[in-house]
Amino acid sequence: MTVTKTAVPSLEPVVTIKLAATSDEMLECFALRAAVFMGEQHCPYDEEFDGNDYTATHVVMYVDGEPAGSMRLRWFQSFCKFERCVVLRRYRALGLHHQLNAWCKEFARRKGYTKAYVHLQKRHLPMMEKEGFRPVDDRIFNFSDHEYYAVYCDLVPPEDAVTLETMPMVVNRPEDRLDEEGVLEKSALRGATNPHVHVERRAN
Amino acid sequence: MSSTTRTINGEAVTIRLAMKMEDSLHAFAIRAATFIGELDVPYSEEFDGHDFSATHVIAYVGNEPVGTIRMRWLQSFAMPERLAVIQRFRGHDIGGLLLERCRLLAQGRGCSTLYLQAPPADVKYFEKQGWHCLAAEEAGGRLVAMARAVDPDKPLTEVETPAAIAAGRERRAAIEPKIV
Repeated sequence: MTVTKTAVPSLEPVVTIKLAATSDEMLECFALRAAVFMGEQHCPYDEEFDGNDYTATHVVMYVDGEPAGSMRLRWFQSFCKFERCVVLRRYRALGLHHQLNAWCKEFARRKGYTKAYVHLQKRHLPMMEKEGFRPVDDRIFNFSDHEYYAVYCDLVPPEDAVTLETMPMVVNRPEDRLDEEGVLEKSALRGATNPHVHVERRAN
Repeated sequence: MSSTTRTINGEAVTIRLAMKMEDSLHAFAIRAATFIGELDVPYSEEFDGHDFSATHVIAYVGNEPVGTIRMRWLQSFAMPERLAVIQRFRGHDIGGLLLERCRLLAQGRGCSTLYLQAPPADVKYFEKQGWHCLAAEEAGGRLVAMARAVDPDKPLTEVETPAAIAAGRERRAAIEPKIV
């Protein structure tokens, strides 16, 4: 599900979005957030790195191969929460957050989610309304020096969204490439020798 | 490890070496905030491949990581670089504390020379911290090579220093704005 926009030859920047799947890619996400939230917005370290980074999904966006933006996704029963969305200052005029949002919506839809949920600063509401987000209610709350609304948008899961009926080996694929054969399917070619079946289970 | 008696807003300033994964993340976040966030340095230049062969020194105010410096070790000198302090905490000489910790670290390892590359605007800052400019060729360029003796009582001889350093120099080492 990597989105690559190319035109040959072109001055258009090449934008790539992918799931952060290695510790290097996660570090890219963390560094981009530190740059924007700590560097530009003066957020203290432990408010930015709040303890939820290792229970979340991180998405990284590259412009011409350079880390340029990031989003963190957290998964609740009834919605997917989009948060910590950043685009580096030098890439900000390109409007890339729309592509990042679109990628994350698509990602959540494919996983079967029907709602995306965001805590939004008031100034960003018109921008996100264009993308189909609307306030959950009229509650306003504040943290890290800003006022927020909760907004959400409905997602329509595609026909091949993951459900209990989905092929088991499809569920095992890398989550941003559910349409491509995954590494475990290749391992299936080795057959099942059940190597531990004869290992004696030690009595407790 | 080593703490100073200095406080900022009633919170103790502590200088520690990165020992755990999370500590390194503190260092990386501070550098990302200052170099990528404030100075628009590209990610790939800031995280240049030396981070996992270097020593990271971190300054805390209370529990908040606020400053960092990276030490690289070469045979003929130790090289402090990537000095950064979070904007809200500048003006308290946290940079000086970090540099002093680097000096003590080098002393403990038996190093005699510290070497760094500074942008011309930062030369005066480092001169106040006991550094002096090296090769004249660097003057007026993007970066100025500077050195200092680890032990102030054993100053480096004019003759040996520049040559020793030129031999071990990694030229494209860093674009080194310091932010203190």
